[in-house]
Amino acid sequence: MSGHVTDRLPLAAAEALDPAEAARVEEHLRECAACASEAGAWHRLAEGLGRMPSPRPSRALVARTVEAVEERLAERREGAWNRAALGFLVAFAWTLAVVSWLLLDLVTGELALRLDRPVGPTAAWYAAYMIAGWLTAGAAAVLLGRRAHEEGRIA
Amino acid sequence: MDPDRDDAARLRRGDTAGLAGLMGRHQDRLFRYLLRLLGDETVAEDAFQQTWLQVAERIGRYDAARPFGPWLFTVARNLALDHLRRRWPESLDQVDEPEAPGGPEGDPLAHAVARQQGARLADAVAGLAPLDREVLSLRFEEDLALPQLAETLGVPLPTAKARLYRALTRLRGRLLARAPAEDWR
Repeated sequence: MSGHVTDRLPLAAAEALDPAEAARVEEHLRECAACASEAGAWHRLAEGLGRMPSPRPSRALVARTVEAVEERLAERREGAWNRAALGFLVAFAWTLAVVSWLLLDLVTGELALRLDRPVGPTAAWYAAYMIAGWLTAGAAAVLLGRRAHEEGRIA
Repeated sequence: MDPDRDDAARLRRGDTAGLAGLMGRHQDRLFRYLLRLLGDETVAEDAFQQTWLQVAERIGRYDAARPFGPWLFTVARNLALDHLRRRWPESLDQVDEPEAPGGPEGDPLAHAVARQQGARLADAVAGLAPLDREVLSLRFEEDLALPQLAETLGVPLPTAKARLYRALTRLRGRLLARAPAEDWR
């Protein structure tokens, strides 16, 4: 008779031995009453583990979970829409600022040409005021966009 | 088509019907696993909810070529282990001291149930270290074969085998210490 296989019996009961090893254990168990008895105890334990009381989630827990996930998905959809809208607004603001700059240059330049004199200080100040306003609006749009992005990431 | 993959694809599109399908098929085993691993019903309930929230958040990362179950259990496992590490930063491998035998008092029905072998076994399992409880639950309750078990645990096959062996021997030792006359001998 070969040596005892006591140390292989827990894994044999768990069907976690490779086929060759399992065959060796089986062969030994046919010849060794002591190991066969020990194997029986391990098998009873393994069977018992498969029959333990099986707790299930309560309906209330499942309902709460579904509600929480739906809420999260809705937030995600809203966040995606907000990001898209904000992106559009930022792009629109910058486009407007650049186009307006060109238009201002065109109008004041044309006007100056038509009047055959340089642009006066009032018009220059007005242009500077407009440009500052546009740049401020553009910067604000970028800052708001970044903040919204960070808040979305945190949430 | 695999219903899990179908439902995962629906969930990826934001369709909550996909979530309902996935939960319907996996909620019982997921809850059982979390309860065994965490050993506390309230904590397991919280982890259950967090797991599905993370599933909804990360469904885009799920590889539909692979089965959904192990991915779900990996998400749940990471959450549960994070919780356990916060609670017991020293070791998840630590075994609690065996409690004195005894069950619920005052309720005859609860007494009768507690007397059953399965309940005693569950009680003994509950006293094991979290990693021992986990491996036993995955192998015997979730019926995962060794390769799937190793994949879920994120360890090589020999390590999974060693953990299973250790958990079984610890459990039997515990049972024999508490009720030596029973047929675990």
